[in-house]
Amino acid sequence: MFSISFSFKPVSIFVTFFICLSGCSLTNNQAISAADDDPPVVEKKMLTAVLPLNNLSGTPVPLEDIRQRLISSFKKQGLNILAEDVLETFSVKHRIRYVGGIDEITARDLRYETGADAVLITSLELYSDIPPPKIALTCRLVSTGNNPRILWMDGVGLAGDDSVGILQLSLIEDPRELLEKAVQQLSTSLGEYLEGKGHSMDSQRDLIKFWPKAFYRSPILEPDWTFTVAVVPFLNLSERRFAGEIIALNFVEQMMTQKKFSVIEPGIVRQVLLQMRIVMDDGISLADVHDLFSKLNADLILAGIIFDYQDYQGISGKAKVDFSAHALERQIREVVWNCQSYNEGDYGVFFFDWGQVKTAHRMASEMVASALETLAE
Amino acid sequence: MIKVVNFANIKKLVFFTIIVFLLGCAPGASLTYYHDPSMDFAAIRSVAVMPFENLTREPNAGERVRDVFANSLLSTGAVYVIPLGEVSRGIARAGMLNPAVPSMEEIGKFVGIIRVDAIITGTVTEYGEVRSGATSANVISMNVQMIEVQALRIVWTASATKGGISIWDRLFGAGGEPMNDVTMKAVTDVLDKLFI
Repeated sequence: MFSISFSFKPVSIFVTFFICLSGCSLTNNQAISAADDDPPVVEKKMLTAVLPLNNLSGTPVPLEDIRQRLISSFKKQGLNILAEDVLETFSVKHRIRYVGGIDEITARDLRYETGADAVLITSLELYSDIPPPKIALTCRLVSTGNNPRILWMDGVGLAGDDSVGILQLSLIEDPRELLEKAVQQLSTSLGEYLEGKGHSMDSQRDLIKFWPKAFYRSPILEPDWTFTVAVVPFLNLSERRFAGEIIALNFVEQMMTQKKFSVIEPGIVRQVLLQMRIVMDDGISLADVHDLFSKLNADLILAGIIFDYQDYQGISGKAKVDFSAHALERQIREVVWNCQSYNEGDYGVFFFDWGQVKTAHRMASEMVASALETLAE
Repeated sequence: MIKVVNFANIKKLVFFTIIVFLLGCAPGASLTYYHDPSMDFAAIRSVAVMPFENLTREPNAGERVRDVFANSLLSTGAVYVIPLGEVSRGIARAGMLNPAVPSMEEIGKFVGIIRVDAIITGTVTEYGEVRSGATSANVISMNVQMIEVQALRIVWTASATKGGISIWDRLFGAGGEPMNDVTMKAVTDVLDKLFI
């Protein structure tokens, strides 16, 4: 019959404590920074793993079809794509379920086990095949290895009736045609980046139209500062699923176009939030901020609330975006910047829908770019 | 004796009567406030904006107006507004049952956790679309009050109503201003009365 020897009891208690303490420890205790190492050599020959799409649309979408189109378009641009079976084996081995970002450990393992130099993360925000179709995609290229960082990021939001032309000759009614156009724009942008042309800037930005309704910038922020920023998902009070993640991605995307900001990969931020068991039910608290600053080597933590992120299907309706954002600074642990911004797609439109913004993605991009001008100026 | 009717006077009378009626149709825009004359508002450096009580049918009206108010107040640069997530943490730790209308004991506990000079509470009494016949427009009605935490007394209150159906909306069916614009105007009006 089995019995417990009392001489082993102290040992078993010690081992139990040791296991519990190990469970509480974090796998990587170094503060994570976006600017620790030199940037990797960016070229078209770099081996790139294309992760499955992260579906933020909240609707059923032909994800694999879109992914294959992206891969073939990137291959046409001359990119070296990691073989499917290698990526599949790696994903199964490491039980990768989240494809909306990449954390430090996965990035390191991906580099040393598959040889991939970078990983391409794609988020699908909107897919509507009801005529006229609409699509919104965001892509980012993240380096692998010990210090993953965002190398390139771009997004596209298109509607079939963006520019219908005379007698509606330019109207796109086939969703596959619109998807092809979106994929083409993204792959061209990535190709230009890999050729050393840098991030593409939209020169047709209407900053005045989408300027924030109210903003505050603390005088302690010097004009010539550069910021390392960690963007946490926004508190979502809208009816749209994943709107908090979508608007956070918009901020990351627009920050990447400005040299003032160095953005920490959202997958790393997410991993830290999970490790620290931070749940932001009502927005970010100073205790959460303290924990995040202890793990992320960021100057600013950017958070906010999204109240509306509204797209529409078909021809009737209007896009609507309403958010507020604030940034907390590392040293003083106070809000040093905030903004309040809202817009509707038909704002300033008087004749024949001329100038109407048809997708929330495009409008949010413009609004976020304008908001960041107030932080960067 | 034959009394001569002065048609010029009748025209004037009709004209002024129309003007009076038209002014009566103007959209509601009212503002009332109280400012404690003995209070040194410059001494208030940081405030916590508590969740606003929502007496409307719009589910997130309180949160929306509170967010606009908190951001606009911080944008003035006059006071520091505690992040709303930190306020929520203080509310949870102080065990406030109804943070929109806190008791004095609850405020005392809250201030022990979140160091602020004043707290602001508010109520949204109307938020959304109003209809009159075939015409509709957006309207907001809100009131806020500031409680100084040392003496636990109300030092400032203000209420504002903005939006509603204008003569323009009645004649041309314009549908009024967007809800966010109306909210921003009401909040700006209220804040103007804080910094008089």
